[in-house]
Amino acid sequence: MLRNTTARWGTPAQLLHWLIALLIGVQAILGVSGVALPLGMAKLATLARHKSLGITLLALVLVRLLWRVVNPRPALPENLKRYERTLARATHAALYALLIALPVSGWLMSAARGFPVSWFNLVQLPNLVSRNLALYHLLVRVHVALAITLALALALHVAAALKHHFVLHDDTLRRMVPGWAPRDRDASALNKD
Amino acid sequence: MLSARALRVTLPGLILGAATIAHAATPSPTYTLRPAHSSLTYTFTQAGAANQGQFKRFSVRFDPSAGTLVVVIDMRSFDTGDAQRNEVLGGADFFDVAHYPQARFQATRLRKTAGGYLATGPLTLRGVTRVVSVPFTWRLIGTPTHPAGLLDGQTVLKRLDFGLGQGQWRATEWLGNAVTVHFALRLAPAAH
Ligand code: HEM
Ligand code: HEM
Repeated sequence: MLRNTTARWGTPAQLLHWLIALLIGVQAILGVSGVALPLGMAKLATLARHKSLGITLLALVLVRLLWRVVNPRPALPENLKRYERTLARATHAALYALLIALPVSGWLMSAARGFPVSWFNLVQLPNLVSRNLALYHLLVRVHVALAITLALALALHVAAALKHHFVLHDDTLRRMVPGWAPRDRDASALNKD
Repeated sequence: MLSARALRVTLPGLILGAATIAHAATPSPTYTLRPAHSSLTYTFTQAGAANQGQFKRFSVRFDPSAGTLVVVIDMRSFDTGDAQRNEVLGGADFFDVAHYPQARFQATRLRKTAGGYLATGPLTLRGVTRVVSVPFTWRLIGTPTHPAGLLDGQTVLKRLDFGLGQGQWRATEWLGNAVTVHFALRLAPAAH
């Protein structure tokens, strides 16, 4: 099933969700280890990969958002309280905003440092700002603060997904996983009799 | 090649005639650098992107008719616009300016080409000497009373040929081996 329905995410939306989730993990490892490494070729390589992957993520998120607006969206489960719906929507919006703000801040940060960004040594991206050390130091702090905010938002997001699955026993997690059928409510109802 | 000044010294009694002869025999004087209007820069590939550096102090002596071209660079005057990178580049693994404060190119052959000249000769950089060929154009500008010329060109060097990058810095995936050196030099006849 390619397109989303009001009951389920289609395969492209599912694959994009999990691909981005996986790459965010790799991206965080590259960023943190790049910062920790001493000045040298390994640091240069690690941060170069971090930048290339970050730009890739930016493109993936834009594709994902585009796909989202041209598709129906599964409704949030009925069993949610009002504040839970608001929290779910706000967290999802924050995740999308962070997934855009993080790579953009990284890109601007590199330009402000005077280091142009290349995508996997293949395409050199334009410097959107010119060399400005004060701006660079500010953007490093912004980038790190955004990364920490993303980590916190993801903790909430994952906790919510697990709560849906293991506590509320609804289909929220199942409908995001390719090939995972909804729970057969009638069957489970019959078993209880 | 006799200069006008040498003729004047050897033939003091014939100043007028010597000046005429000198004019016919030496169509070009020796030119030296006008630093304020000149640049010596280089482009290198860092993490897949083009980055620039420059040398701020260098000297040039050029005499097209004598076939002379000598460039001496004060290696301590380099700048890539980033303090941290400058520290690494000036250090032992790259320019090692403490031990090799000067780089020098001297043409041993200056050949006229269709578009300009090709200067061939030894380039000494970080204590390593290699023969390189550098193409350039030479254009006279200025006025008869204030003659000047523009010497422009670029050439690609391999940094590892000169040991620029020791140890871990020998890898070229994230720091390209090819470095393009650009020069736009404004020269004027040396004051006698
Ligand atoms: C870096 C990691 C992740 C990011 C950036 C992320 C981002 C998102 C976003 C933005 C949405 C909203 C989809 C939309 O409304 O368009 C979403 C939905 C979802 N995510 Fe994640 N996610 C990540 C990891 C995870 C993990 C690890 C789980 C499960 C343990 C998970 C489970 C879900 C589920 C079940 C939904 C569907 C919610 C619904 O159907 O209403 N996500 N994710
Ligand atoms: C979704 C995208 C991104 C995420 C999640 C992310 C995350 C991170 C993280 C966690 C760090 C380590 C912070 C620390 O430990 O202090 C970091 C550092 C860094 N990131 Fe990103 N980043 C992303 C995109 C980018 C992009 C696109 C660029 C550049 C084009 C970039 C450039 C950098 C740089 C240069 C650092 C090192 C900062 C420093 O020197 O302290 N990042 N990033």
